[in-house]
Amino acid sequence: MEVRSSMSRFGATSLLPSAIVFSIVQEMGPTITGLVVSGRVGAGIGAELASMKVTEQIDAMEASAVNPFRLLAATRILACILMLPLLTLGADACGIFMGWIAQTLVEPISLHQFIESGFRGATLSSFLPPTFKTSVFGLIIGLIACFQGMRTRGGAEGVGRAATNSVVLASLFVILADVVLVKLILVIFPS
Amino acid sequence: MATTSDVATSPAGPETAGLPCAVAVDNLHKTFANRKVLDGVTLAVNRGETLAVLGRSGTGKSVLLRVIIGLVQPDVGSVSILGREIAGLNLDKLGDVRKKMGFLFQHAALYDSLTVGENVAFPLVHHRAHMSKAERDDRVIQLLAEVGLENALNKMPSNISGGMQKRVGLARALALDPEILLLDEPTAGLDPISSGEIDELVLKLQSEHQMASIVVTHDLHSAKTIATRLALLDRGQVVIEGTFEELEQSEIALVKQFLMQS
Repeated sequence: MEVRSSMSRFGATSLLPSAIVFSIVQEMGPTITGLVVSGRVGAGIGAELASMKVTEQIDAMEASAVNPFRLLAATRILACILMLPLLTLGADACGIFMGWIAQTLVEPISLHQFIESGFRGATLSSFLPPTFKTSVFGLIIGLIACFQGMRTRGGAEGVGRAATNSVVLASLFVILADVVLVKLILVIFPS
Repeated sequence: MATTSDVATSPAGPETAGLPCAVAVDNLHKTFANRKVLDGVTLAVNRGETLAVLGRSGTGKSVLLRVIIGLVQPDVGSVSILGREIAGLNLDKLGDVRKKMGFLFQHAALYDSLTVGENVAFPLVHHRAHMSKAERDDRVIQLLAEVGLENALNKMPSNISGGMQKRVGLARALALDPEILLLDEPTAGLDPISSGEIDELVLKLQSEHQMASIVVTHDLHSAKTIATRLALLDRGQVVIEGTFEELEQSEIALVKQFLMQS
């Protein structure tokens, strides 16, 4: 809605659907999904593994000759890598839909027309690289959360610290990774 | 009665004569954050024997067990399990050794997202892949029956008492028919009746399975009940090792004090 008022000064309101779709699919959707998952899933993984660490469950696993990194960490990291792109697609769809709602409140437009206008001129390289960069976000979130959880010490305080550190560090590194990956995508897939 | 200088040469019974010690630790040293926890510990345990490691809190008893199972690496010294030195083994080879050992943690360390049955089945799922589900289920029920908890199969660890958790932990430790059993404070935090039940259970399992067992405890009554030999640890060193009667006859002041206070 704010962008609309800026674009109307230049007579470019017809480009609004494209602006909404491209901004969501190329940047906002992946980044916000990454940050939300950092908070929700990163904290969950960090707290769960930290709780297992302080209650000696991970030691019990090692004593049973089962590799806890393979069983606990690898599975969670793989899940994050595989699920982030799918979540991002869902987030993109929701974002585009809400963008249509916001546009319709000001200047009614059918959903079909909004999507047609928004995706005009789009190619696969506009959408796939930004979506799959979230796999890297998933790797970062999984690695950091598992690392923080499995090296916890200090009882309940340690569990809380692991959850907090997981969220803060994962969010920070997702943002940093986004900068690097956007640059990489622009180099590999120039506009 | 063995003192610190000659503890490693325990006499072997007829069935273990000529075989290496089940567990042999030699000159173990371990320091955590400038605090010496183990200071030259040397012990040996044969098959069919139960060694109780006694001592006050903070004397390194639990650390000793963790060094034996390989969860903690000693700074100096060696640990030999069934004749095999475990220092420097990679995770896979260490895993082969660990499959012959069962460890009961002080607080049982049950996996809280799994049921009692799934906890006991955990080692079987990962190391007995050839077992069918039916065979595995039968084995789990057999193990739980040994510890008197066959009715707790589908309960969650959070819904059972501390004593029951310990028993489930013991059943899990026995899942792979270990040759060596390590018990960390098996009766800690339990009422006298539950403690007695755990002691009886350990004795029964010992007579049936003839394992080499090391029990870390500060419960002298429990140690007297289940152990063939006792070792007293103080400030990371073995002060004395022998039968309970030998400890009673010792003139060492710390031993007398420990026996009197317990």
